[in-house]
Formats: sequence, structure tokens, C-alpha cells
Amino acid sequence: MPETFATASITLDSLSKHFGATRAVDTVSLRVPAGSLVCLLGPSGCGKTTTLRMIGGFEDPTAGRILIGDEEVTTLPPYVRPTAMVFQSYALFPHMSVYDNIAYGLRARRMPRPEIKARVEDALAIMELHGQQRKSPPQLSGGQQQRVALARALVTRPKVLLFDEPLSNLDAQLRVRMRGEIRAVQRRLGITSVYVTHDQEEAFSIADQVAVMNKGHLVQLGTPRELYRQPADRFVAEFVGLSNIVPAELLDSNDAGAVVRVYGQTIRSRRPPRRPGPDTSLVLRPEAMRLEPAGASGVPGHVQTLAFVGPLVRYVVAVQDGTLLTVDQHNPDPDEFFVEGTAVSVQLPAEVPALLS
Amino acid sequence: MAGKLLTLPQRWPVTRQRQATFAALIVVEALLLALLAARLVQVRVVEDRRELVGNVETIHFRREVIGDPLLVALLAVGVAVPFFSGRLRREPVLLVALQAGILSLTIFVLWPLGQVFAQGFRAGPLATGFSLLQFERLLETPMVARATRNTLYIGAMSAVLATVIGTLIAYTLSLTDVPGKRWLRIITTLPLVSPPFAVSFAILLLFGRRGLITYDLLHITSWNIYGPHGIIFVQLISDIPLAALILSAVFASISRDLEEAAEDLGGSPLYVLRTVTFPLVTPAILTAALLTFINAIADFGNPMLIGGGYQVLATQAFIQMIELFDLQLGAALAMLLLVPALLAFALQHWITSKRSYVTVTSGARTGQVRKLPGWIKWPLYGLVLLLAAIDLLLYGSILVGAFVRAWGFDYTPTLENLSGLSSAMPMLRNSLFVSVGSGLLGGVAGILFAWLVTRQKFPGRGALDFSATLMYAIPGTVIGIGYIIAFNAAPYFWTGTFFIIIVAYAFRRLPVGLRTAVAAQRQVDPSLEEASLDLGASRLRTFALITFPLLSRAFFAGVIYIFIRSMTDLSTAIFLNAGRTQLYTVRMFRVMITGTPSEAAAFAGLLVVIILISLGLLSKLTGKSFVDLFRI
Repeated sequence: MPETFATASITLDSLSKHFGATRAVDTVSLRVPAGSLVCLLGPSGCGKTTTLRMIGGFEDPTAGRILIGDEEVTTLPPYVRPTAMVFQSYALFPHMSVYDNIAYGLRARRMPRPEIKARVEDALAIMELHGQQRKSPPQLSGGQQQRVALARALVTRPKVLLFDEPLSNLDAQLRVRMRGEIRAVQRRLGITSVYVTHDQEEAFSIADQVAVMNKGHLVQLGTPRELYRQPADRFVAEFVGLSNIVPAELLDSNDAGAVVRVYGQTIRSRRPPRRPGPDTSLVLRPEAMRLEPAGASGVPGHVQTLAFVGPLVRYVVAVQDGTLLTVDQHNPDPDEFFVEGTAVSVQLPAEVPALLS
Repeated sequence: MAGKLLTLPQRWPVTRQRQATFAALIVVEALLLALLAARLVQVRVVEDRRELVGNVETIHFRREVIGDPLLVALLAVGVAVPFFSGRLRREPVLLVALQAGILSLTIFVLWPLGQVFAQGFRAGPLATGFSLLQFERLLETPMVARATRNTLYIGAMSAVLATVIGTLIAYTLSLTDVPGKRWLRIITTLPLVSPPFAVSFAILLLFGRRGLITYDLLHITSWNIYGPHGIIFVQLISDIPLAALILSAVFASISRDLEEAAEDLGGSPLYVLRTVTFPLVTPAILTAALLTFINAIADFGNPMLIGGGYQVLATQAFIQMIELFDLQLGAALAMLLLVPALLAFALQHWITSKRSYVTVTSGARTGQVRKLPGWIKWPLYGLVLLLAAIDLLLYGSILVGAFVRAWGFDYTPTLENLSGLSSAMPMLRNSLFVSVGSGLLGGVAGILFAWLVTRQKFPGRGALDFSATLMYAIPGTVIGIGYIIAFNAAPYFWTGTFFIIIVAYAFRRLPVGLRTAVAAQRQVDPSLEEASLDLGASRLRTFALITFPLLSRAFFAGVIYIFIRSMTDLSTAIFLNAGRTQLYTVRMFRVMITGTPSEAAAFAGLLVVIILISLGLLSKLTGKSFVDLFRI
């Protein structure tokens, strides 16, 4: 296998797909730079899989265009598109051996036999599948099946790799390992990839950029860091796992930032609010807060539950107006836990990256 | 050994009561077996020879064993063997259920089939020992050689054509977006549940010498439908739906992901069809070819009605058995039918067990409409419409024919044909009684065997499954012949009783009842039964309160299926019924041969109406189209 592939960018231009009255995908525009991996992230039914299937050629867009490199592929059938997909069910052909599965795309292209052999052996080596080529897919473990599916997609040297929730049939540990392998292969070959998942952690760990989708719309596109620090709206904030969204009163704002009041405390934002008005809200990240014994300055409250998960202890604290705040304490000392019912004082951060609205 | 058998394994909480129950079970079973043996094996003292020495005549007597000591020995082994499993000894209910299963399969499946072989190698009714005389006789009869060739020809042609056309029909109705699929599926499946010879009768109404289309509309007199092409045509009408049914189940279960993956990897639609779709349905195609082949070679009614003197093995066997009462020659003929059927069954079994791919993984999408170019899709749709039109025409002609004075000559509407039915009421009662009986028996047996085969672990489970499924591949005529040979004479004398017909039907259709129940059983999470056992319910209680209620739909579907198949059967009935137990289909068949077409149409029409009502009931009961229930 060559060190790099002839890869290309993907451009989605106002892409829509309607099923009857349902707008599964609604005017989505997105550019995936050549060589990068973009995750489509969102809850089930948000249109991410439909978008992926349109790129692969399995669904005809209702409106809009798809370009791979400079070539428009919107109406091309799947078998002439330079894309290769890794299916959620793997879709390994049960009546063929591992070898025949991997060779399938090459045979479909009527490639000479010695070259097929060379390429398949290459793929077997890269995916650490040596010795498995005579087996039939049901004899393999979930992780091996996953590797065969990836090898089968890679041997055809596609310009674009598509992943449709490829890890959802694996157990948690294997999932973490396989996503590392997928990322490593993708980086090494520098192949443009679109990866669909509903798992925020998976998306953040694997992607150059994450596109969050909701109800057919592309809500926000950004690096994992951008999404986490500056979520575009409440949906993104909640979907990327930030649970404390609290109302705030705007005290002062200028181009350099803003000052808001939250539970009687003042907090600085490094960015001004997106819309004008006295009421706004912000995200308090669990790891940005601390708990002190009651009496200290801060927001008074009492511990409702605590969960010790090893590297951190996660408290849920009820503050004055009944709101529940999640507060993480890292590297905790088990002798100094605040037990349920203890009155505490929540230390809010002095500064946040941005306001939510 | 007896001591070991009587004490229960340690893990069981041994109480006096349990031990007493276990001992009682052994005693009761031994007694029952002894009673059965006394009934099945009798020793009689018969006169051997007389010697005249001077004036004194000495009469020599000898003891003669009549009956079936071999069967008794087999049964004793079948009852005893399960006792040797420690696991089974701990579970008396399972033990008794298994014994009942082994006993019934031995008596009603393996023994009659074995008897076909035993009789076929016998020189004459009273002869003992091995002989090839019957086969020499067969070779000497040119008629038999011709009938064998004819049978294979009819079987091969029907199987190939029905499988090809059935595959196309199934593909169109499962995977394309043509209009009216629901009704087309129902109409094209109907011939499967009607008496097959009603089709050839309807064909005669339309295309016969005085047929509505050939004579009245087209005025053709030089051509006639009688002969091999007529038989094949008729066979196709009922075999195409069979093939289509088997294949549509598989087409509907192929994961769309597989084909998409193939296209995604660069396979053009035709390449994908050749390398992915077609290999995946190969096992189903083989099954369809096997079943249509067996149907075609076993059929008795159609060749009699439309063959026009074209002899096949089934008709030859009938003549030898029933008209000339030559059991041994009939058995040899039945073997000629049985051997290709068993070979085909073994072949199909071997291939499908090696390669069965219909595994549904999570996230797999099945049964989605495939985009097809119009020049492929619409001709396929035309084929479906043509078949549906022929089916409607056939059933229409039967229903109309029942209400005209004399089909072919005088088409004045009349009700007088119905009066002929009144004489057939006793036969209809017989048929209903037998069919309800075999439905219930087959349904219960199906549930029992399914429970044993899917949920329980014991040695020899595969053999039990195989024996219970074996009848699937046995031509109906051979079953009739086997039952006559096995149970005709002393000590049974079962011929002419309702019992033998009910049992024959129940066990003949057991494979379908079993498969339906197994499919339903697999749908039920085993943890439901485990939860019941865990909560302290016994096996019996769990079966009655958990397993059976969850399977009741499958049970009733099985009962009605067997009922319908029994109501419309002729191949087995013609051998097993007698004067007092004459069945409706047999009577109807005689009317078709000897009566006027309109009288016969009234008979067929009534049967079709009964079947349609049963199908409606079946759909109502299960909330599914009957088409889905006939998938095996």
C-alpha cells in the first residue's frame, strides 16, 4: 500500500433530503478538507447517516450538490464513486472468505490476479489479519470483522472513506482500541474521511473537526476544543456533555468581553454575548468549579449525591433556587469527601470562555 | 444397573416421594410396553403339515410369530435409552416427553417407511428373506420403465420451470415497488392451498376438448391439453407459488447492507446480482427445487385427470396397490419414488447446512425496495400479472361452472348441481373430522418437538430433529403405501379406520408444524422460561403458563395449516380411505372422472369456499396475511 492516497476534499453544497414531508437533511453545507477526518455527531434521527449515505451514493439528494475534489458526483451511482464505506453491520459477505471479501472490490474492477493478491496481502498485513484469510466472517471476533471491513474498503484506494457508526457493535474496551486504530490508519494514509457517530467522546477523540447535527440541520462545525469551549447553543452544549447551563444577568459588555452575575457572583466572559439584552446564560463546566466547606465565600448549597468513579468524584449539589449543579473534584482524597446532605459552598470560576447566548 | 437407575443423582434433593414417583414411572412404562408387545406380537399355533402313515394321519403343528417383534424391540430400546442420561433422570417431564417423541416417530414415521423397503425386497405376500423378484418384475414391465422416465421428466421440468419463474415472482413481489403487491401475493399463493387436482380440472374446463377458451372462443379442435405438457402446466400452477413463497422469505431477509457494500466497492448492479445476491439465495433455490420436484413426482390426481393415459409412477403404484392389490410390487414402485426424493432431500440438507447465510445482525436493514431499470421491472410485473390472471380465471371457472347446467354445452344458470352435493355430505363430515383431528394432533406434536429440539439439550437431539423433519421429503403416495403395508394386516387392521388417516396426515405435515413452532420458539427469549423456573415453577407449569401461551399463535397456525392440507389431500387419502371412511376429495375425484363437469365444479367450489373461510380465520387469528404463515 502506498504511503499516501490520492485523496480529495468533500464539499456538500446546500444538500437536502426529504422523505415525504420529513426533512431528514435540510440545506447542509460542509467542506471536509483533503486528508482530514470530520465526524458527523448527533442524536438518532438527526440526519447524519442520511448525509453519509448521500455522499456514498445510496440516497439521491432532493436538492444540493456533492463534490469530491473538483468533480461533481451528485448523480453518480455508488459503484463509480471514489468512496468506500465501512458499514455499521460491517456487511461482510457471509458466503466468501476473508480473502475474497477483501478482494471483492478489486475483482469488480477486473484487476489482474497477481496485483489483487499483492494488494490483499498488503491489506492483511496492515490490518494484522495474517492467518485469517481462509476463514469465513462469522468465525471472526467482532474486532477482526471490523478490521476486515476496513481492509476491504482500503484496498480499492478510495479518495474518500465513509464510516457509519462502525464501532457500535463492539464492547466498550474494544471500541476505544479500534477507534485508535482507525485514526492511526487514516492519519498514516492521509485519506479524507467522514465518520458518523452519536458518541461525543468517540467523536472528540477521533476527529479533526466535528459537525454537530440536529433535526436535519448542521448546528455547529468546529474542532472538539471549539465545541467544548464555545458551544453555539444549548443543544450543542448539552450534547457535548456540559450539564450545568445557568441563567445569568448581563452587567457590562464590550468588544473585549462581558461581565455577568450568576447566583450573586460576578464572572467574566472573554467574549461578548451573541445577542444583546440583559438576560443571558452560560455553561459552568463541572471541572471548573470547586467545593469548599460551608461558610466560605461562594454559592451555598448542599450535597445531594456523590459518585466516586476513580479519577474523580462527581457531586450533584442543590443550590439556593433548587437548581442542581454537577461539580467534579479530580484526584480526590477519599477521606475528605463531602457526604450526602453536607452543606457546602460552590466556588464558581472567575472567568469563562464565552456566554451561551 | 437397575440399582443405579433407581437411585437419583446426588444433586437432586432426594426425598422418598421423588424416588417413589420415579420408580412408579418405570413400572408404569414397563407395563405399558408389555401390553403393547402383547398386542403387537402374537404367537399362534398353526398347522404345519400332515403325514399319512398307514391309516394314521399325523398333523404337525408349529408355532408362528405374527406381528412385529422388531418394532417392539425398537420401541423398547427407544423407551429405555433416555433412562441412561443422568440429566434426563433428573427431569421426569423431559424424560417422558422425549420417550413419547421417540415412540411416536418410530411407529408413525420410521416404521412405515422401513416397511416400504422391507416389502419391496420380498418375493411374495408370505415369503420371507431378501429377494429382488419385484425389481425383476418391474424391469420386465415396459410400462414401468416408461413411467419411471415419465416421472423423472415431469419432476425435472416442473422443478426447473417452477423454481425459475417462482424466483422471478418472489423477487418482484418482495423487492420492487410495483403496485398492488399485497393482493397479488395473496392471489398468486392461493393455488398452494387448494386441492392440486382442482387446478387440472379447472384447466380442462377452460382448455379441454369442450373448454370455454379452446372450443367456445377459439374453436380449436385439433389441439388438446392432455398429456405431459398438460401435467407440467398444471404442476406449475401449484408449484410456482411454493417456490415463490420459499424465496420471498429469503429475499426479504437479505441485508441491504451487503448489496450496498458490494456496489460501494465498485460492483455494477449485474455484477452484484451475480456475486452477492444470487449466491445468498442459492440454498433457498435448492430447497424450492427439491420441494417442487417431490411434489411433481408424487402427484397422483393431476396425471390421472389430465395425463390422458400418460403413465407415471404414482398412477402405476395406485393401480398395483389398490386395483390389483399387489403390495410387494406397489412397494417396489414406491421405492422408485422414495429414492430420488431421499437423495434430493439429503443433497439439499447437505448444501444448506454447509452454507446458510440468513443471519440477521443488529443494524442490518432488510426487505428494502431495490431500484431496477424499467425494462427489467415492468416485464417482471407483467409475469406476475399473467400468473395472477391465470389463477383468477381458474378459480372463476370453478365457481361459475358450479352454477351452469352443463359446462361445454349449455351455459344456462342453474342451482341443480348443488343437489348432487347432498349425497357427499357424509364424506364431507369424514373429511372435516379427519382434518380437525390431524390438525390438533399435528399441532400438539409440533409444539412438543419444537420444545424438545430448541430448548432442551440431550444426546441424539439431531437424530430426533431429522426424523421429525423427514416426512417433508416423502411423497404423499409413498406415505399412503407405507401405512397400508405397515398397518394393514394383523395385528393392527387399521386400514379403513379414521385413526390411520388422522395419524398419517398429522405426521406427514409435522415438519411444517415443527418449523413454525421452532421459529416462534426462537422468537421467545429463553430467559422468560428461565425466570419461571428460577421462581420455582416446575417444567410442566412453566410450559403450560409461559411457553405455550407465547406459542399459541404458532400452534393455531400449525393446526389450521394441517387442517387445510388434510382437507385438500388426495395422494395419501386414495390409499388409506375405505368405504366407511371415504373422504371428500376422493369422492370429488371420482365425480371429476365419471360425472359431468358442472357436478364436479360444484364439488370443487364447495371445497375452495371451505378453504377460503379457513384462511380468513387464520389471518384473523394471527393478524397476518396467510401468505406469511405458509413460509417454512
